[in-house]
Amino acid sequence: MKPVFPYPTLLGDVGCEVVSVSIDGKPLPYTNVSATERVVALHQSGRAGWEEATLNVRATLPESELSDGPWQDVICLATLTEKATNARTTARLRPASDGSRTGSIILSRALHLRRATLSLLVIATVNSVAGRLVGSAEQDWYVDLQEATPVRQREIDIVEIDFRDGPHDGLRPYKESSWIIETSGDMPIVYLNTTAVEGLMEVLGSRGGNPTEKVLREMAASQVAQDAWTAMFHTAISDLDTDEDGTPVMPTGWRESVLRQMLPDVLPGRQLTDALYEINERRTKGFGWSELQTGIQYAAGRRAQISKKLATAVRTIDRTERNTD
Amino acid sequence: MPESPPPAERGEAFGPWLARQLRRAGMSQADLATQVGKTRAAVSAWINGRAEPREETKARIAEILGTNLAAIVTRTVDVPTGRPVRWHHRPAHADGGREYGNAAAFAFDADLSVLAREATQNSLDERYDDRAPVSVHYTLHELDGPHLDAFLTALRWNELLPHYEAASQGNQKVSRSLRSALEDLSQEHRLRILRIDDYNAAGLTGPEYSDGRFAAVVRRQLDSHKVTGGRAGGSYGLGKATLWATSRFGLVLINSTLSEPHEGRTACRVIGRMDLPWHEVDGEAYAGPAWLGEPDTDPEHEDVSRSWWADDETVRSLQLSRSSGESGTSFLIVGAHDASGDTESLQEMHDKLVRSLADGFWAAMLGGRSAGPLLEARVTTLRNGEVHIPEHQVDPHFHHPALSRALQAYLDGDTVAELTSANQVVRADVPVIITPLKGQGRQRDKGREHLAALLLTPADDNDVQINRVVCMRGNRMTITEQRPRDLPLGTPPFQAVLLAGYATGRDGEDIALAEAFLRASEPPEHDRWDRTEELTTAYQRGALARLKEFRSSIDKTVRLLLGKREITRSEGPSVLRELLKLDTSTGPAGRRAQSFPTVRNIEARIDDRGAWHVTVHLRLPDAADPWVLAPVAKFDVRSGGRPSVDWELLVGSETCRAENGMVIVEPGVRTAVFSGVTDPTTHPVRGGYARLAVDVPKGRGGAV
Amino acid sequence: MPRAVPFDVPPVLGLLPDAVVAKHLSRGMQSGQENPPQAALRKASTPLPDDEIRWRTAPIRELLDVAMTRFDDNPTAADGWLAPRLHATLRMTRAEAGDGRLWNHLAMLVAPDYVAWRHKRAEIAQSSRFSGPHYTQCFSRLWWVAELFRDGPDYRPVEVACSVQDILNTTLRLDVIDHRPTAQALLAVFKSLISSGVPRPGDHVNAVSSAVNAAGSTLVYDVLAPDNPPLVEDLQDWIADVAEAPAVHWDRLPEGPNDGRVPRTAIDVLVSFFEKLLVEAPVRRRGRVSTPEDVGDSPQQSAVPAPREGVSLAKDLPSWMT
Repeated sequence: MKPVFPYPTLLGDVGCEVVSVSIDGKPLPYTNVSATERVVALHQSGRAGWEEATLNVRATLPESELSDGPWQDVICLATLTEKATNARTTARLRPASDGSRTGSIILSRALHLRRATLSLLVIATVNSVAGRLVGSAEQDWYVDLQEATPVRQREIDIVEIDFRDGPHDGLRPYKESSWIIETSGDMPIVYLNTTAVEGLMEVLGSRGGNPTEKVLREMAASQVAQDAWTAMFHTAISDLDTDEDGTPVMPTGWRESVLRQMLPDVLPGRQLTDALYEINERRTKGFGWSELQTGIQYAAGRRAQISKKLATAVRTIDRTERNTD
Repeated sequence: MPESPPPAERGEAFGPWLARQLRRAGMSQADLATQVGKTRAAVSAWINGRAEPREETKARIAEILGTNLAAIVTRTVDVPTGRPVRWHHRPAHADGGREYGNAAAFAFDADLSVLAREATQNSLDERYDDRAPVSVHYTLHELDGPHLDAFLTALRWNELLPHYEAASQGNQKVSRSLRSALEDLSQEHRLRILRIDDYNAAGLTGPEYSDGRFAAVVRRQLDSHKVTGGRAGGSYGLGKATLWATSRFGLVLINSTLSEPHEGRTACRVIGRMDLPWHEVDGEAYAGPAWLGEPDTDPEHEDVSRSWWADDETVRSLQLSRSSGESGTSFLIVGAHDASGDTESLQEMHDKLVRSLADGFWAAMLGGRSAGPLLEARVTTLRNGEVHIPEHQVDPHFHHPALSRALQAYLDGDTVAELTSANQVVRADVPVIITPLKGQGRQRDKGREHLAALLLTPADDNDVQINRVVCMRGNRMTITEQRPRDLPLGTPPFQAVLLAGYATGRDGEDIALAEAFLRASEPPEHDRWDRTEELTTAYQRGALARLKEFRSSIDKTVRLLLGKREITRSEGPSVLRELLKLDTSTGPAGRRAQSFPTVRNIEARIDDRGAWHVTVHLRLPDAADPWVLAPVAKFDVRSGGRPSVDWELLVGSETCRAENGMVIVEPGVRTAVFSGVTDPTTHPVRGGYARLAVDVPKGRGGAV
Repeated sequence: MPRAVPFDVPPVLGLLPDAVVAKHLSRGMQSGQENPPQAALRKASTPLPDDEIRWRTAPIRELLDVAMTRFDDNPTAADGWLAPRLHATLRMTRAEAGDGRLWNHLAMLVAPDYVAWRHKRAEIAQSSRFSGPHYTQCFSRLWWVAELFRDGPDYRPVEVACSVQDILNTTLRLDVIDHRPTAQALLAVFKSLISSGVPRPGDHVNAVSSAVNAAGSTLVYDVLAPDNPPLVEDLQDWIADVAEAPAVHWDRLPEGPNDGRVPRTAIDVLVSFFEKLLVEAPVRRRGRVSTPEDVGDSPQQSAVPAPREGVSLAKDLPSWMT
């Protein structure tokens, strides 16, 4: 749902590019900058104690539209923000000789924890009101402090670990379990226990094998996935921000991805905000909560491809048996 | 020899000069002997260079020839004889054989981009002074009215017309296209000519009929005359035929300033050549080609039109004036067109020429600290002598920013070992082993190693082609574009240039060897490095394998330069990872977004009271029951809860009705529009300071 | 009189994952009746380096004990006293404070009794007071209110911010205050509101916050009122000084990091604009309930948007607690 502005805003594209990055004055290898993913990965194994990163930014504005339109005193502002640290740094970009706008913005490590967002705003005086937001880059850049590879889509971590004797004490109580889903952190983590079921990891990790092994692998993966989707869904709806009228606001990050993928199956035919509202109502008021579980189970099962894998499994076993007959 | 050959500026040797003047004047040696009162033997001795007459005899000869003593001493001009410049059509073969058009001309598409490529490559190959760039200038010129008449008169069009009319009879392709060219000219009375000038090039040197640049271009269509130290691709080879192919009349005029004198002269060597198919005029059969020039007086070529040393006025009237005395050649294509049909207007043709020059020669046009540009190119368009589209110097950085940046950095020595900025260029060496020639070196000799330079830089946003390696050798001539395989996923777009052989700009034994080796591996089109007959016959076994290794080490080096991108994350079993993808952009979830009503578009304004007036366009899925929607207006904020504002008024339209704060859409209606006005007393801030968003959730029972 | 702590407090702060909190947070702890399962929690947490004085728990524990004694009759009032002192005692960068596991550790292992004392309503303190967003968690909300509202070394604005709970509950949630001049200008407007003696100042705080936040969607305050970049090195020095600094004074405000004052002119520009917004903004029927009787049960208020009950635990703390 795109909001409407009470004054004219830019139609043309606003482009934003990180041209180069230096860390404490030393240039960062450009392989740590991905223009396609729009991500900068600042983590470097060789340099732990860095203090600040300078991002050199170039913006391209629809200049002819700007000069012909009702906008004066156009300012191009880069902002660097992070929710987790309430950080907000800004820098003005200046016109460069080639018609773009360039400038640098400093990311201070003391102000950032995981992932900063670099946005580009175009601000102008419109109808003699100064400081109006009239445009912004379509897509923000991410600046990752903990990643060495510039990848936009962060993935669910899958960690293979020994629950019983491994380095993670918190897992010891679950030493009998084959897997545990942890959704409270920055990203969900699936812990696979290397010691609970002998040989399970080998089966899961291999690619070939006889038909029975394949069936086992597919079914085990499907079960882990169903647990993971269920857990992620519950976490995603557990702490929703709301508008003043009580409508829940779609969360961000992985929680958003999970909800967008699952809600249409949990409450079919509902608009996302409608579905979120409904779920929040049931969760907080208690009615219909258990009915909802069926929907969640169904949605998680779909994501985990339970039915599809079961069908394949049945067919495989059927075939194997007929062959042995 | 009684005297050493005269230096260039002193003109031609006396003997040949005198012989020609006699021929031109239609005078025999005996006639001259009688008139100057010398023996025939004496005249013969002068002509054969065994002796030279005394000053007073020269003065007498000058008088007889109708010139002055100075002319006879400097011998840089012919004595004017009034021999008429005219068209000479080659008679048909005695055996009755017929050719329908110039074979070479038809081997090429007369596409403007092909013309620009071939003609400019020729200029580049003929560069005269290695320390300065060769300069090419394309001038597109449209003539009509008196300007056209004057040009056609100078061209002796009336002499040509019967031949054109005869040649255009018939059904061959060439006849048909001639016919339409003639019709267009007579109907529109307008003609486009395209002149291609080069400066600091060798010019069309050499004798009229035997080996040399002049004859290669003017007399023999398929001759490839190569002299420039083996760096050329195929100078004045097949490519020159594109000049004639670009002319709708098969007609090209030439004016050349020579870098070494011919007949003691350098400036304004002019000739025209036309290529027609076999035809008959007034019962005479003609082979097709014709030349505009002076009737030759040489007994061997009696009456054939030969090049002449034209005066300024003639050159001007033929639109062949050159802007400086620098050596080089001007080709004037009469009736120039783009046979590809892509371009029609002058502007389109102009732009296509600029683009083609940039595409083909961006590399040659670059210059840096270690090496200057090899070429500069301009395009101008005129109409009746007036500037129509101003001169445009082709800027490689404008057309191919990333590639130009890569090569520029190499020429400036500004490459880096590792990229830290989008503007940088990283450089690495790629080895190629040059197999020994057959009969040279020991058996099992691996051969010499040559290091080609690979330059890589992030692509420009506007680049159409990306992730390729432009491979060059020679005078920065692009041979092939390699697309590296197995690039890591998510590789940032890049441009790369590979410089091999002379293109590296280095000197050394391996350079010339590599150049020859790679050239041997090119087919006549010079568009790849692969198996050729020349390669397998000239080089020892293994040459093909070395080329293959070369190509794969290019790929490998590119992958290396693109970085130590760690793709090994904590992967987990792939079967599980497959099922846990957090992807929002695609997939069924995205598609099902339309199973409920959505807001497509909102038009909004604010009135004097600060109330928002909105017209909301909805898209609805098909449904069996009416949609009961409770539109909600909210002020959009960056964070925190969005304040909702109340409706003062909700109004339906023919597509839906509004009741009690609800909008009701009947089943089957797929798009609906309603309007609303917000209640300004419920605004948390003046409307003019806020952004408004409208959502259309289903009506919640009991909320009204 | 400092009280005796009824359980064994770990000497150094650590990091405790959310999942562990969820597992071990019992109703008994939320009601203040039970002590935390120290052994299990310590095993599950990662200790911070014990050679850094700032991670020692003793000074924090002392502050909390004093607070519980001083404000025993009105725990809400402890916020204004504790916020600057906690900030000046637990010195760290925003990057460090952004890690929620630190606050989990403090609430679960070091001072669960304080959480219950400060936030217990009816029977229990909500779980989000132990582990939750920065504007909700018992200690992080105090640290962040001090961090976001201090004017360089001057903590006086923080006391203003803590004087009306709506500022902590509503204003602290908004991204607009990440721009320091906006935060200071809001406080200036709030301060004059409070001193004017207007009834139910919380309503006005919410109205101004909402107006400023909404206007922030079309006006870029960073441009209207430019701030100076933070002096990170001075901040780092101040953090390092904690090794030598004496414990914070109980009756006098401590001094914060001298990392740059907010430009006066920038604040002034925004103050006059915000005051204009306050005047212009039509008086609206407010959805926020503000009397104890209304709390959490007003389904009949059809014209008024429903209160945000039970959605995020941050939002159902009624303002009567101020």
